[in-house]
Amino acid sequence: MLGKGAKRKHDKDDDGLEGDAVVAAGRGGGPSKASYTLQRQTIFNMSLMKLYHPRAAVEPSLERRVLINNMLRRIQDELRREGGAQPLPLPLPASPPPEDPADEGFREPPPPPPGLAPPDSCLTPASLLEADASLFCSSPSPHTLLFHGAPSRPTPSPSPSKDGFSSALDEIEELCPDVATTTSPPPGASPQGPQLSPMLPAGGDLKARKPDVRGVVMATDPQPGSLDMSPCPPLSSSSSSTTSSSSSGFLTDLALDDILFADIDTSMYDFDACTSASGTGAAKIAPVMTADDLVKTLSPYGGPGTGPTSAAPSQPFKMDLAELDHIMEVLVGS
Amino acid sequence: MAGVGGGNDFQWCFSQVKGAIDEDVAEADIISTVEFNYSGELLATGDKGGRVVIFQREQESKNRPHSRGEYNVYSTFQSHEPEFDYLKSLEIEEKINKIRWLPQQNAAHFLLSTNDKTIKLWKISERDKRAEGYNLKDEDGRLRDPFRITSLRVPVLMPMDLMVEASPRRIFANAHTYHINSISVNSDHETYLSADDLRINLWHLEITDRSFNIVDIKPANMEELTEVITAAECHPHQCNVFVYSSSKGTIRLCDMRAAALCDRHTKFFEEPEDPSSRSFFSEIISSISDVKFSHSGRYMMTRDYLSVKVWDLNMENRPVETYQVHEYLRSKLCSLYENDCIFDKFECCWNGSDGAIMTGSYNNFFRMFDRNTRKDVTLEASRESSKPRAVLKPRKVCTGGKRKKDEISVDSLDFNKKILHTAWHPKENVIAVAATNNLYIFQDKIN
Repeated sequence: MLGKGAKRKHDKDDDGLEGDAVVAAGRGGGPSKASYTLQRQTIFNMSLMKLYHPRAAVEPSLERRVLINNMLRRIQDELRREGGAQPLPLPLPASPPPEDPADEGFREPPPPPPGLAPPDSCLTPASLLEADASLFCSSPSPHTLLFHGAPSRPTPSPSPSKDGFSSALDEIEELCPDVATTTSPPPGASPQGPQLSPMLPAGGDLKARKPDVRGVVMATDPQPGSLDMSPCPPLSSSSSSTTSSSSSGFLTDLALDDILFADIDTSMYDFDACTSASGTGAAKIAPVMTADDLVKTLSPYGGPGTGPTSAAPSQPFKMDLAELDHIMEVLVGS
Repeated sequence: MAGVGGGNDFQWCFSQVKGAIDEDVAEADIISTVEFNYSGELLATGDKGGRVVIFQREQESKNRPHSRGEYNVYSTFQSHEPEFDYLKSLEIEEKINKIRWLPQQNAAHFLLSTNDKTIKLWKISERDKRAEGYNLKDEDGRLRDPFRITSLRVPVLMPMDLMVEASPRRIFANAHTYHINSISVNSDHETYLSADDLRINLWHLEITDRSFNIVDIKPANMEELTEVITAAECHPHQCNVFVYSSSKGTIRLCDMRAAALCDRHTKFFEEPEDPSSRSFFSEIISSISDVKFSHSGRYMMTRDYLSVKVWDLNMENRPVETYQVHEYLRSKLCSLYENDCIFDKFECCWNGSDGAIMTGSYNNFFRMFDRNTRKDVTLEASRESSKPRAVLKPRKVCTGGKRKKDEISVDSLDFNKKILHTAWHPKENVIAVAATNNLYIFQDKIN
């Protein structure tokens, strides 16, 4: 559609995704709810990509960043309202007002609250921002650094992290009593143990799961590695599709604004400097998915509840992990 | 269709095109602003490479009564150079964001040109005579031996080939932390305003080391930033009034007499959102990319992504007229968000009588709306229809169903060919349309 004037056949299904979603947004429900959620997910991912992989070499426009940020916030708020579960306690931005009148930028990263000191495998950007800034640019692959925490920092003691996550854990156990662990925790996983593995029952019905809960889980279970860009495949489109967005949602709340609005001294914290320093690493990200591509990847999975028939039970879980890992990568700007 | 911008027999014809023809467009040649001066005699363009090219209209020739005066290059100069902000380790683009002419007060012409950070006042003057017959130096400039001078003579002014010189007279720098999006000369001809994403400053044309901040919407905590300034303009007659638009689709009119800092608006223009057309992109497409007062000063026009709205300054709750520019893009917003086209900043302009308005679109299309007859037309700036005095054929975009002959379907539109900048001669039916690196000039057909 957006080529250089090349003619194409008129395809009635072409705008199915967009058209449906717009309609669904207007009507607010019914069978188009899935496509609405799908579009929301797509837009969320796109917005993250835009913020962390800007195309321009020069300073991106503030208006553009503000509009994309507003979009992300709106989607996050919507997800929170829909999800209903208590989200992770997010650190409130606690940057002191700039004393220097020339300091026009938002440069102070918010310190994480004590209850949320992350384990070294956690990806909360608070740890990211606290890490020694010089490590960002010197490390050849920033995302590995972030996945495993700053090398110079000692592993945070599990006890403070338990405060933050144990409450989340309790919620998980409340909601998903029949959790079955299907994948082994990745190396460096949080000390909370198997309960934090994705508690996705084999090939089953995920409708009972609250999206935020899964988001909590995913946030502590990162896996580095190069991954397929596809944010799919969800087993059930409605709850799964919100997973990665909610997980990234919590994280982006912490990271977004700091990185967005730093006007001064961004070279230390700027992912762009690192990705450009790491050369072609950034270029290896798969091309952005179009809404059309999403439809195609979704089609093998049919409607909610059917699930993949031929894939092994662990397959979708791995793919969900893969999906989230990719979002982590996006977040840390690899 | 005939009728837009003039009587029923009105038609637009191709007049000229400036710029290179080849497919490979150098980034630096992309035109970033177009502006006629107050008389329409001069037409200035700025490009991404920081250059300004000024065209001057030829006097109408008696030999060819059917062709109005053509615009030919009058002056070319490098206005801005790329800079490097060492504090932020970021490049400052030399791209000319806006050019605004000052009213002519003597033989020289003055214009303001700005990039993201610095505004410059340029003087463009002609030199067509030079003095000859100096006593102390030869014609080629060498000093004559004083002992050889035996008589005195009075130097005489002799005609020479016309030389047009551009010299920077003022440089207004270091007043904007964020990117300048607008400049506007005040009706007092002494002051002007410059607006960036979060602040608006008022300058005196003679004073470069000081400017007054009159609007500041920067929040104490930048994390709370959800709205930025997108455009600003001074009222054409009331030197105390100006407006600025925002990324949330609102316009604020401020009176500088009310307070030194105009953070509190005098009037607030916003159209309530139509709930039936709400989508994820509602906010982004409501962001106003341009605001222009009418010549009369009674109305103002705003351009958002899909429409142009005309507002009566006396009515704040909704516009008096709304024109759809390319409504067929509404169902494509997701794709346009993906490829960033949704952030394109289209400008708009009035004709001299305020009876018609014009704005650009994609595929090198541009649209004109006649406010009186309510007719609208879509025209194309293309090399194919660039024969001298060729009448422009109206174009039509097919939105669905069967595509008629000569219609173009939405999916075939070239979104890389966007017309963001257009200008209308202040007195006549002559328009300048910037299509990437080419400047097209169209005129009305004399019947």
